[in-house]
Amino acid sequence: MSNSQAQSQSTMDKTQLLSNVLRILKMYNLKETEELLKQEAKITDDISNSSQESGVNSVLTGYKSDGDPETYEESYLELKKFVEVSLDIYKHELSTILYPVLVHMYLELVYNGHTEKAMNLMKRFGPEQDFYYQEDLRKLALVIKKEHMNGNELIDTFKSNQFIIRMSRDTYSLLKRHLQDKKATVLLNIIHEHLYFDMYEGVARNKSQIDSTSGSVIGEATRQDNKVKVYYGIPKVPDIQTLAAPVEDEEEGTEQDAPDKPKKKKAKKDPLFSKKTKCDPNAPSLDRIPFPELKDNDKLEKLRAFREATKRVTLGSETLPSICCYTLLNANHTVTCAEITEDSSMLAVGFSDSVVKVWTLVPQKLKAMKNAEQLQEINIEAEDVFVRMMDERSGKTSRSLFGHSGSVYSVSFSPDRTLLLSCAEDGTIRLWSLQIWRCLVVYKGHMYPVWDVKFSPHGYYFASASHDRTARLWATDHYQPLRVFAGHFSDVDCIQFHPNSNYIATGSSDRRVCLWDCLTGNHVRLMTGHKSPIYSLAFSVCGRFLASAGSDCKILIWDLAHGHLVAELTGHDKPIHTLTFSRCGNLLASGSVDCKLKLWDFTKLAEDTSSEDVNVSHNPDVKSGDTYMLRSFATKNSPLIHLHFTRRNLLLAVATFDGSNP
Amino acid sequence: MAKLSDGDIYGTTFSIESMKIIAESIGISNLPDDAAKELADEVSYRIKHIIQDAAKIMNHSKRIKLVPSDVDAALKMKNIEPQYGFHSADPLPFRFASGGGRELHFIEEKEVDLNDLIQNLNPKAPLDVTLRAHWLCIDGVQPTIPENPPPVAKEMQKLESVDPINKMNKPNKETSGKPTTGKQKLRNVETVQIKQLATHELSVEQQLYYKEITEACVGSDEARRAEALQSLASDPGLHEMLPRMCTFIIEGVRVNVVQNNLALLIYLMRMVKALLDNQSLFLEKYLHELIPAVTTCIVSKQLCMRPELDNHWALRDFASRLMAQICKNFNTSTNNIQTRVTRMFTNALHQGDKLPLSSLYGAIEGLSELGTEVIKTFILPHIKSIGARIENHLEGTMVSNLDKIASSHVKQLIVKVVTPIIKTLKNPPDQFDDFKAEYGYLGFSLYYSVVKARTQPTPTTTPSSSNMTASCITSVGANISRSIPQTPTIIQQQTSTPSRTIVMNQSGRVTTPTTSQKIVFVTQRSQTQVNQQPTQQPQLQGSQNTVVKIMSNTNSNNQAQKIVTGQQKLVVVGMPNSSSSASANVHTVNTQSGPGIQGTTPNSSGGVTTTVNQNNVINQSGQPPYSLVQKSVFVQQPQPQQQQQQKPKEQPPQVDDLSHLV
Repeated sequence: MSNSQAQSQSTMDKTQLLSNVLRILKMYNLKETEELLKQEAKITDDISNSSQESGVNSVLTGYKSDGDPETYEESYLELKKFVEVSLDIYKHELSTILYPVLVHMYLELVYNGHTEKAMNLMKRFGPEQDFYYQEDLRKLALVIKKEHMNGNELIDTFKSNQFIIRMSRDTYSLLKRHLQDKKATVLLNIIHEHLYFDMYEGVARNKSQIDSTSGSVIGEATRQDNKVKVYYGIPKVPDIQTLAAPVEDEEEGTEQDAPDKPKKKKAKKDPLFSKKTKCDPNAPSLDRIPFPELKDNDKLEKLRAFREATKRVTLGSETLPSICCYTLLNANHTVTCAEITEDSSMLAVGFSDSVVKVWTLVPQKLKAMKNAEQLQEINIEAEDVFVRMMDERSGKTSRSLFGHSGSVYSVSFSPDRTLLLSCAEDGTIRLWSLQIWRCLVVYKGHMYPVWDVKFSPHGYYFASASHDRTARLWATDHYQPLRVFAGHFSDVDCIQFHPNSNYIATGSSDRRVCLWDCLTGNHVRLMTGHKSPIYSLAFSVCGRFLASAGSDCKILIWDLAHGHLVAELTGHDKPIHTLTFSRCGNLLASGSVDCKLKLWDFTKLAEDTSSEDVNVSHNPDVKSGDTYMLRSFATKNSPLIHLHFTRRNLLLAVATFDGSNP
Repeated sequence: MAKLSDGDIYGTTFSIESMKIIAESIGISNLPDDAAKELADEVSYRIKHIIQDAAKIMNHSKRIKLVPSDVDAALKMKNIEPQYGFHSADPLPFRFASGGGRELHFIEEKEVDLNDLIQNLNPKAPLDVTLRAHWLCIDGVQPTIPENPPPVAKEMQKLESVDPINKMNKPNKETSGKPTTGKQKLRNVETVQIKQLATHELSVEQQLYYKEITEACVGSDEARRAEALQSLASDPGLHEMLPRMCTFIIEGVRVNVVQNNLALLIYLMRMVKALLDNQSLFLEKYLHELIPAVTTCIVSKQLCMRPELDNHWALRDFASRLMAQICKNFNTSTNNIQTRVTRMFTNALHQGDKLPLSSLYGAIEGLSELGTEVIKTFILPHIKSIGARIENHLEGTMVSNLDKIASSHVKQLIVKVVTPIIKTLKNPPDQFDDFKAEYGYLGFSLYYSVVKARTQPTPTTTPSSSNMTASCITSVGANISRSIPQTPTIIQQQTSTPSRTIVMNQSGRVTTPTTSQKIVFVTQRSQTQVNQQPTQQPQLQGSQNTVVKIMSNTNSNNQAQKIVTGQQKLVVVGMPNSSSSASANVHTVNTQSGPGIQGTTPNSSGGVTTTVNQNNVINQSGQPPYSLVQKSVFVQQPQPQQQQQQKPKEQPPQVDDLSHLV
C-alpha cells in the first residue's frame, strides 16, 4: 500500500504539492514555517496565490478533465462491447476492468459538474455490475456534487489508490492493443491513472475464480503483497517439562486430596512431550517478540491447562461435541459482545448501556481483594497467599464494571484471568482488574469508536481495531500504542492474534483481511474475497489457516503460507459474528445472528487442501458450498454472539434471547 | 414527507416539496425552488451518509434492526450533536395515512398524561439480565427441551402431512439426530435407489416417555397427572409420538365409553386439551380421529355407571369446550370443521323424543359453545319442543329420578345459554305471555331469568362459556371453571345433588356489619353414614343434613375447631372426615360458579362409596359479594372417622378428586 501511495504521489506535480502544503500552513496561520518553506523551496508568493482559488479541494484535481461529457457513455459502451465480443477465455478477466472504469468515469463527470450525465451513466450501467460491487455503487451514487466528494471515505480511497486488477499477460496485451486502436482518450486516461495491472504468466482465469477473490474496495491483492515469509508455526513450548517436574512435586505436597495424579500419569505424559519437542520449521524463534518472564503462578496455570488437555476428547465428524448454551434473558438488544476465559470459568458481557458485566460459570464466586490494612496482616511467605488475599465474604456470582460512556463493543480476558480489557464507542480502551474490580488504565489513542480488542494469547500485549481505519498494538504497561497498523481503507472491524503472538490479523469494512507483523509493523498478507464487512476471525490451532466471516454470511478459509483462499463455506443466512476452532483443531464452529450454530469438518478440509499442488502465482481451486458442514443447530430465537471450546472440547455458546419477534 | 421516486436505487433524493414544507415549519415561508433543490440534494446526501454509519453501529451491536440510538451514535461519530429525546427501545410504529388525495407517513406518538407519571411513583423496574445455561446439544444430538426450538418446525410438520414424499427427497442430515456416517461410507459402492419407507421408530427414551406420560395421565396420582399434562402441553419435541398419543386417546375413549368409566374419560379429554394447547404440534393430521372421540364424550347416551349421581354433565361441558377450541383453531374454508360439527349436533336435536336426554344435553351444550350465532339459529327454534319434552319429566308424577335430573340439567343449560340471546333480541318491556307463547314450558324460567338479567347492573351472566374463545378453558391445570348464571343472593341447594353443595353469598342473607360475629355454616354429615359392607348401592341421598349456624366468636361447639379469622378474607373450610389434607379444601370460588360439585367415584368393586362433608364456613361481613363453595372430597374408604389421625402420606386413600370439574 505504501508503494501504491508513492506511485500516486509521484504522478502529482511536485510544485503543486508544495503549494498545497503552503496553503495548509496559511490556513492554520503558521506564518514562520510558511516563510521558511518558501525560502527553502524558492517559491514566490504568486505561485501559491495563483492556485488559491481552488482551495484545498484541488487535491482532487486528478479528476480534472476537459473531456467532452458526451463521450463518456459512448466510450464505456464501446469498452463493454469489446469485452463481450472477445474470446471466452479472456472475456472474464477483461470484464474486471469495467467496474473501475465506470467508477472513475462517474467521479470525473461529477467532479466536472456534469451531474445529469453522471447519474445517467450510473443508472444505465450500475445495475449490471457484479452484485458485490452494488453496495459501493450505491454509496457512490449518493455523491452528485463536487462538494460532496471532499471527505467522503470511499472517494478518497478511489482517488488516492489505483484499482488493482490481476490479469494474465495475454489478456493484458489484448486489452492494450484494443486501447491503442481506439485511441479513446477518456478511457486511456482513466486506465492509465487509476488502474494497476498485476500481470502473471499463465492461463486466464474463469469467472468463478475471479469472483472468489474479487470484491474488495480497490480490487484484488497483488502478488507482491503476499511474498514475505510468514512464520505461521507454533514454537515449541518453552521447556514445560523441566519446569513441570519441580512444580509438580510441590503441588503434590500441597494437594493431598488429588489422588488422580499418581506417578503413572507422568510416564504417560512423556511421549506427548517428546512429540512436541520436534521443532516446526515454520515457527518463529521464541525471542522474536519479547515477552515478560513467566511468573510461578503462570507456570502452575500452564501445567494445569496441560493436564486438562490430556483429558480432552478428540472431536471429529464421528464424535461431535456437546454444546452448552448460555442464553442471556431480558437483554432486549442491549448485549453487544461477550467472551469466556480460556479456562471457561468466567463470562464477560458488554452492554450498549456502557456496562461490562462478569459472571462466574463455576461454583467459585467472584471475590474481591481485601483492603490494604487487612492485606498487611497476611503472611507473604504463606503458600496460599493468593487465596488469603481475597475476601471470602465478597463472593458474588456476577459483578458489573462501570466506566465507559458508550456501547461496549468488545471485551477480552487476559490469559491469567486477572485482567479484562474492554473497548467502547467512546474511543477508549479500559483495562480492569478482576481482583479489585476497578478500572486500572484508560488507553486513549483511537479517535473514534473502537470496534474490537484482543489480548495476546501470551498476555502483556493487546491489539485494538477502530473506526479510524487503524489497528493498534499495545502493551499493558504503555499508555501509547507500540504499533499503528494503517492501510485499511475503511473501518477495521475485527482483530485477532496469531496463536504465536507474532502476527495480528485484521478484518475490515474494505472487505480485505490483512495479516500484520507485530515486529516490523508491516503487512505481510493481504487477502481479498469477502464481499461485505468482516466481523470475525479465527486462527486454526496449527497456525497455518485463518478463518474469516462477516456480513456476507460466508466463512472463508485462508492458507497463510501463501495467502490463498482455500475454501468458501456457505450455509448461514445472516451476518456471522463468531468463529472458533476446537482445541484439537478438527472442527470449526460458527455462530450467526440467524440463530444457528454450525459445525464444520476442518480436518477433512485441511486434508483436501494439503493434497493439492500449490504455488505462489496461482490460486488453487476454491472449495465452496456446505459439503464440509457437519451439523447445524438452531437456538430458540437467540442470536449467537460468542463461541468457546473448553480445554476438554466442550463447546460453550453465548446467545441473547430475543423475545420481541417470536 | 418525501415522495420516493419509484424503484430507483441509485440516487433517491428528498423532493423539493418536502424541503419547502420543512422550511415552512421553521418559519421560512418563501423558499425559492433552486434553494430547495440545493437543500434537497445536500440533505439527502448527509442523511444517507449518517444512516450508513448507523448501520455500522448496528452491525457491531450484533443486531439486524436499526434503532434510534444507532443514529445518535453515528451523529456522535461525525461530531454532530445527537438528537436527544428520540430514544426508544421498541421499533417506532411508522404509520401511513391518506385522504383527500394526499399521502402522509408519520410516527404515531401516544399522549402521555403527566399526572399518571407523577402518581405512579415507582414504575416497574425492567428485569435484570440473567444467564440461563442449557444444553444445546449432547454429543451431537439436540435434546428437545423448552430452551431449544422444536426439532421439526410446525411448518415442516404441515408440509410433511401434505406432501409426504418431500421428506424422503430431503437428505435427512439435520432431522435424524444421529451422525449419518454409516451411510456415507457406502457411497462409493454401486447403490440402487430404493424408495425408502417413512420410518416411525421411537427411541427407547421416547418409548419410556410415552409409557410414563400415559400412565400418569390416567393414573391415580393427581400431582403426577398435572405434571404429565403440563409436559404434553409444552414439550416441543412430541411430534414423533403424536400418532401414538392420539391412538391412545381414541382407543381409551372407545373402551371406557363402553365400560362407563367417567373418570378415565375425563382424563383422556384432559390429554386432548393438553395436546391442543401445545404450540409446537401440528394436530390437523389427527383431527379425523380426535373429533369423533370428543364428540362421543359430548353426546353419548351414558358415560358413567350411575347417571343419576355422577357428574357426567361436567365432562360433556368440558368436551364441548374442547370441540369449540378445535373448531376455532382448525376451521378452514376447505375442511369446514365447524359447519360439520354444527350439522352433527343439529341433526341430533332433530331426532326429537328418540334422543336420550343426556345426549340432548350434550348436543345443546356442544352447539352453545360454538357461539351466539349458532345458539340463535339452531337452539332458539327448538326451545318449545324441548320444553314440552322435559315438562313431562319435571312435572309429571310417574317419572324416574334419572329423567328428572337430566331434565333439570337441560332446563338450566337452556336458561343459561339462551337468556343473553333473548335479552338482546327482545326489547325491554318483557311480557310474560309473550315468553309463554314463544317458548312454551320454558317460557316461565326464561322470562324470570331475562328480567333478572336486565335488572342486574353488571352483566355477569354474559355467556363467557358460549363465546368461542378458548379463554374459558385455557387453564391447563386441574380446574375447569364452569359458569352458570344464577342468582348470587341465595343460598342454594342443588336439587340434583342434594345436601352436597352450599353456595352462599353473605350479601343476601347474612348482612351483619359487625366484625365481632362469625358466621359458620356447617354441613355436617350425620354420623351414621358409614357402611362397612361393600354394597354398590349409593346411599347418599338424605344422609346428610346441612346445619347453618350463626354463632358468636367465642365458642365453637362442634368438632370443627378450626376457625380462621381474617380481616378481608373469605375462608371456606371443608373438613373431610379423612385426613387427606383439610387445607386443600379451603376454596373460594367466584360468584357465578355454581352448582357443579358433584362427585363420582369410579366403579370400584370393593369399598363403599361415601361422601363426607363437614364444613366450617367462617365469614366476615362487610365484604365484597363473594360466594363460597365448599369443595367436597370423595373418599373411598370405609371408616373415615378413624383415619383422622393418620398422616395423608401413610394412608393414600383412593381419592378420586374430581374437584377439577367444579
